Amino acid sequence: MTANTIYTAIFLATCATYLCRAMGVFSAKNINTNSPVFNWIKCVSIGIISAVISKIILFPAGILSETESESRIVATIVTLLAYFLFKKNVIFGIFAGVTTFLLMNFYF
Amino acid sequence: MFSLISFRQGVSHAFGVPALGLGSSMFAFGAYLKSSGFDLFQSFASSFFTFALPGQFVMAETMLAGGTFLNIFLAVLLTNARLFPMTVNLIPIIRHSSHSKWKYYFLAHFIAVTSWFNMFAVHKQLQQQNKFDYFLGLGGFLWFNAVICTMLGFSISHLVSHEFLIGLVFINPIYFLIMTVSNLNEKKLTTSVILGAVFSFVLYQYIPEWSVLIAGIASGTLGFFIFKKENNDS
Repeated sequence: MTANTIYTAIFLATCATYLCRAMGVFSAKNINTNSPVFNWIKCVSIGIISAVISKIILFPAGILSETESESRIVATIVTLLAYFLFKKNVIFGIFAGVTTFLLMNFYF
Repeated sequence: MFSLISFRQGVSHAFGVPALGLGSSMFAFGAYLKSSGFDLFQSFASSFFTFALPGQFVMAETMLAGGTFLNIFLAVLLTNARLFPMTVNLIPIIRHSSHSKWKYYFLAHFIAVTSWFNMFAVHKQLQQQNKFDYFLGLGGFLWFNAVICTMLGFSISHLVSHEFLIGLVFINPIYFLIMTVSNLNEKKLTTSVILGAVFSFVLYQYIPEWSVLIAGIASGTLGFFIFKKENNDS
């Protein structure tokens, strides 16, 4: 893998990513926040983000794939429970989720 | 006219949990790039110019798997396609007549899941003319933080244990999850989120590359049309 290959890959990834953002700016010019299209796109955006989260937790790539799927699912449930039990405290939610995840994977 | 106060407010919003949520994964990504044969400048360039973690990861993975340049371009395009509807959604929120059009093309570089959610969480409390500079501070700081954390991960990840690194990577999806549920103030959004997760799981078994995009479009469209009356009332 040469340096040129890596730089070309980074350049292509940058172009592909910026194309999505630039097309978004271009397409947004005639959309106002009260239109049905705006509401539909918000639903699609949050649906895609939910699908991304689901994929990362259930079918992860990289080092998360070294962990047990049960630990990821249980830790996700614990995260949500802690978040709501502690009055929607983000820090408590994350702390409880990561602690559960690590304990299940490395200490039990 | 540039509002330094709004910019600073945006930076201070990003400082803390949002920066931790994104930075932890960028740190782990920096460690991954090091183990994959990248050098420090290449790691820096990846986060500086791309700033979209799933796409950055797919870029490195596809290259290491021996994919062609066309494979890399299409894989990243598909992975980061979520940025298109997110940008279409965010720009009308921020838009103000005092800013020329080209500025939005610059600002768009800072749109990512973390900045998008955090901007939506506060935009109704901001004056329209200040939203651009606020988002510049919020998104700009998250971008800066992501670049620094990638380089830190590359440089000092050998000082932390493998278990700790895995724990850092897990922060990102659960932070996204918390941000998602904290934004569910309408039935159509709740339905879109639940269906998005279910469809993603099912579709992954058959079309893994397309599962996220199709699941998101299908779930969002269903959520929108099932609660069409709610749309008309709002």
